[in-house]
Amino acid sequence: MSATYTYDGTFEGFLTALALAVEKKLPGSEIARENAVEAGLFSEFIRAGSDPIKASAARALIERRGSAGSWHYVRYAFLSEAPGVETAILEYVRLLLDKGRTADNMLADDRVKKVHALSAKVGGEAHRFMGFVRFKELADKTLYSKIEPDHNILPLLAPHFRVRLGTFNWVIHDARRNNAALYFKEKLVYAPLSAAELTEDAKEAEVRELWKHFFKTAAIKERMNPELQRQNVPLKYRKNLTEFDRGAE
Amino acid sequence: MDLDKKLEILADSAKYDASCASSGSDRGGRGTGAAHLSGVCHSWTADGRCISLLKILMTNECVYDCAYCVNRRSNDSAKAILTPDEIAGLTFEFYKRNYIEGLFLSSGIIVSPDRTMELMLEAVRKLRQVFRFNGYVHMKVIPGADQALIDQAGLWADRVSVNIELPTDKSLRLLAPGKTKATVLGPMNRLAQRISASKDERRSIKSSPAYAPAGQSTQLIIGATPETDREIIKLSEALYGKMRLKRVYYSAFVPVMKDNRLPALIDPPLLREHRLYQADWLLRFYGFTAEELLDEKHPALDLSFDPKTVWAANNLHLFPLEVNKASYEEILRVPGIGVTSAQRIFRARRAGGLSLDDLKKLGVVMKRAVYFVTAGGKYGGLKKETGEAIKLKLLEHKNPNGQLDLFGEAALVKAGMKETVTGQI
Repeated sequence: MSATYTYDGTFEGFLTALALAVEKKLPGSEIARENAVEAGLFSEFIRAGSDPIKASAARALIERRGSAGSWHYVRYAFLSEAPGVETAILEYVRLLLDKGRTADNMLADDRVKKVHALSAKVGGEAHRFMGFVRFKELADKTLYSKIEPDHNILPLLAPHFRVRLGTFNWVIHDARRNNAALYFKEKLVYAPLSAAELTEDAKEAEVRELWKHFFKTAAIKERMNPELQRQNVPLKYRKNLTEFDRGAE
Repeated sequence: MDLDKKLEILADSAKYDASCASSGSDRGGRGTGAAHLSGVCHSWTADGRCISLLKILMTNECVYDCAYCVNRRSNDSAKAILTPDEIAGLTFEFYKRNYIEGLFLSSGIIVSPDRTMELMLEAVRKLRQVFRFNGYVHMKVIPGADQALIDQAGLWADRVSVNIELPTDKSLRLLAPGKTKATVLGPMNRLAQRISASKDERRSIKSSPAYAPAGQSTQLIIGATPETDREIIKLSEALYGKMRLKRVYYSAFVPVMKDNRLPALIDPPLLREHRLYQADWLLRFYGFTAEELLDEKHPALDLSFDPKTVWAANNLHLFPLEVNKASYEEILRVPGIGVTSAQRIFRARRAGGLSLDDLKKLGVVMKRAVYFVTAGGKYGGLKKETGEAIKLKLLEHKNPNGQLDLFGEAALVKAGMKETVTGQI
């Protein structure tokens, strides 16, 4: 009989479930978020909980048996939040245990391809948002940014901005997940955040208009190519991009 | 004049410079900002080009009268100048909101090349020392400026550049009186020496200051003068080889000025520009030489096909290649296989033999590659293959009617431009 391991939605919880599933070696087992699945007729339900020791054992196992990139693929693929990603990772890890580090070279194998592809998607969106995050300065000089990415890239973005904007206080608010990275007095923390009440700095509107004006001017009339622009800046991202805001100019 | 108006004038006059990269530097440290080795694009304008840097001129006034240039002396458009404080302040305000990766500063010549260079250096020095800014800076070097001033540029900037603009001395004399090949290549050569000396020094003493760590680039204008693609690509090859340039940009000529020395172009030659970028890529990442791509009998790039397909169709005796045995260098030369899929093939081969189906899964564009490869001895291409037959087949893919559909090609080109124009390598 196969089993479905459920976890609390956190990465630590997922790794705990992964460790349990790997130990038991039941074929056809799945991992899913609690509340996201119903018990099947022929499937046992096991609640994994969140156990830091089991979680770090899972990481150690992947690092020991996989290639130098395996842990990275697992971590990034998990952040995709794609339906079924947990079970896809489980199958990928089983392959690692079976084939060792050469598994990551089996690029035409669907189990490898799936996890690699999800990981690349997350990495791609995170890189895009290194460019797409837009801060505004608030009255207390904190920089505030609202983002709504497809994947849970906040843990990848925050370290990037800690390096570049370490001399400021800032907030990156993932409004889709009601989560925020808060950087205050050189400390970075993550906390739930639903709505934020904001008072802009008096100078903010002026700088924003300068930028919008610059953006408009930089296009060359004779080369207009909105199709190419749409490929590079998909419409879904535009509502949080200052330069695509149709407000005052 | 208020800042907004100045910014409009000076961004408008800077936008014809094609350089957009913010890559090649990993500057960081105390203060604000850092550079990202692979570069970051922050937005894309309505023409599909990326914005990575605040690209502006310090001033659009100029003592020169180059026919192709929007900033020529005899153009009586509105003139503006930004002070070093304004340039540094604006860059910093934009940077902290994550609008940009940094500054691209160029300029018309005001008073003299030396005076212009001094003011530009002052702006960038302020940004680095007063604002303690560690983001990316690309600085244009003004031909004719004193060597000591040129030397300073690389101390503050990540990337430096001198634009050649016109590929031959003859064209320069015709369109840019006041400039010669020597006034352009002189500073370029000097920068190349400083960059390579600094690299050597940093190999032995890590703490010695980096000199233009993201190297040097230049730009050529395409279509304003009669040079052939062969002349242009040969020049680029020499610039990458002898001058160790990081990038050569190609800018389709946009006739912003009317002048009887200039051709009356209706549209900028975007497709030709795109083919040049593809050929340039083949020089830098695929191990091709200029002579292989364009010889004396064929000095122009084929507008219907990418240059790698043309080369492969003319060299069928080298194909088909067995993907399970061929070397990496050979695989790179197969149409439909890029650097990424070549690396994937090489990696996947270690885990076991590859079939034609597997190649598709690895991201190979099989509709092009199919004529040039076998996998495990299996071939999926034409029975009687000649270069012409393959080209005809490929054209069919582009247009089911069998005719060359220029608009279809143009759309294809525009999609492909993403890789070449933004070019974050």
